[in-house]
Amino acid sequence: MPRLDTLNSAWMVWDNAAPKPEDGVLEYTRELEKFLAEIERRAFRMAQVALRDPDDAMDVVQDTMLKLARNYASRPSAEWRPLFYRILENGIRDLQRRRSVRKRFMTWLPGAKEDPDNEAQDPLENVADASPPIPEELMRDQAMEQLEVSLRGLPARQREAFMLRNFEGLDVAETASAMGCSQGSVKTHYSRAVHTLREQLGEVW
Amino acid sequence: MNEQMPAEPRNSFEERSRKLFLESVEDMDFATRSRLTQARSAALAAASARRPWFARAGLLAPAGVTAAALLGAFLWLGSPMWQHAGTVADGLSNFEDLDLVASSDEGSGDAMDMLQDDIEFYDWADKAANSGPEAQS
Repeated sequence: MPRLDTLNSAWMVWDNAAPKPEDGVLEYTRELEKFLAEIERRAFRMAQVALRDPDDAMDVVQDTMLKLARNYASRPSAEWRPLFYRILENGIRDLQRRRSVRKRFMTWLPGAKEDPDNEAQDPLENVADASPPIPEELMRDQAMEQLEVSLRGLPARQREAFMLRNFEGLDVAETASAMGCSQGSVKTHYSRAVHTLREQLGEVW
Repeated sequence: MNEQMPAEPRNSFEERSRKLFLESVEDMDFATRSRLTQARSAALAAASARRPWFARAGLLAPAGVTAAALLGAFLWLGSPMWQHAGTVADGLSNFEDLDLVASSDEGSGDAMDMLQDDIEFYDWADKAANSGPEAQS
């Protein structure tokens, strides 16, 4: 028969080892806020590059923040970055899928207007114009715009690999974790993305 | 900003594209920054409202351990295991009785032989018990 004093001492050990919940919550909330503040703008720009629409990008980033805070805040902070981008990329993919379905549905409707997304498919958009030299800031914006257009033209996995590795600076393992694939696949996607982008933008840049 | 760079050597194209991207992040308009701050605050508020399991466990741990200890003690005291020693002793006694019946004794002969001698009587007694009054006649 177990002795009561043994149980009592076990309880006391457990009681002393239990973390103070309020301190823990405050600590990880502060840490999470710091992490989100550090990452949110880049995440928004990456979502904007992928989705083209700033409102959609904002929705996806907000949803990502919420999911990370609700479901993964208690995980070690070192895991947050790959988790955040995994949620973000899933959100972007879901939105793109919904758009694709909506677009197909709209084409069946008689008299349906063309999807406004197609406006960016203007073939003249990527043609360099022969206008006189423009200020440096405008040239920079134009270069970024060209980069965005080229990134949107990449297959989704290549675009993800390029943005996570190059823009966000994740290493191969973190990128693989964020993309939910092997490290070998990350290297392949990244290499192909760099090759394609350099081919497309090399002359313009 | 995350300054961590990919491990592989980077070429000028990668450097330039990264620089452009980070500049576009820095140039983000005030309205977008403000919306991101609001989104962050909302996410953190939601996370604080829904406390993690370990925080709840932290509050409930002493009560839970006490309840579990009491339940365990009651189950232990009330279970057949508590009377384990007596049960085993009874079992040993039964084995001894069986051994006594089965063993041979020079004075009375083998117990099984005794059963065989009166086999007709036991057969009749069994039929009488199962069949009722007509079997007894």
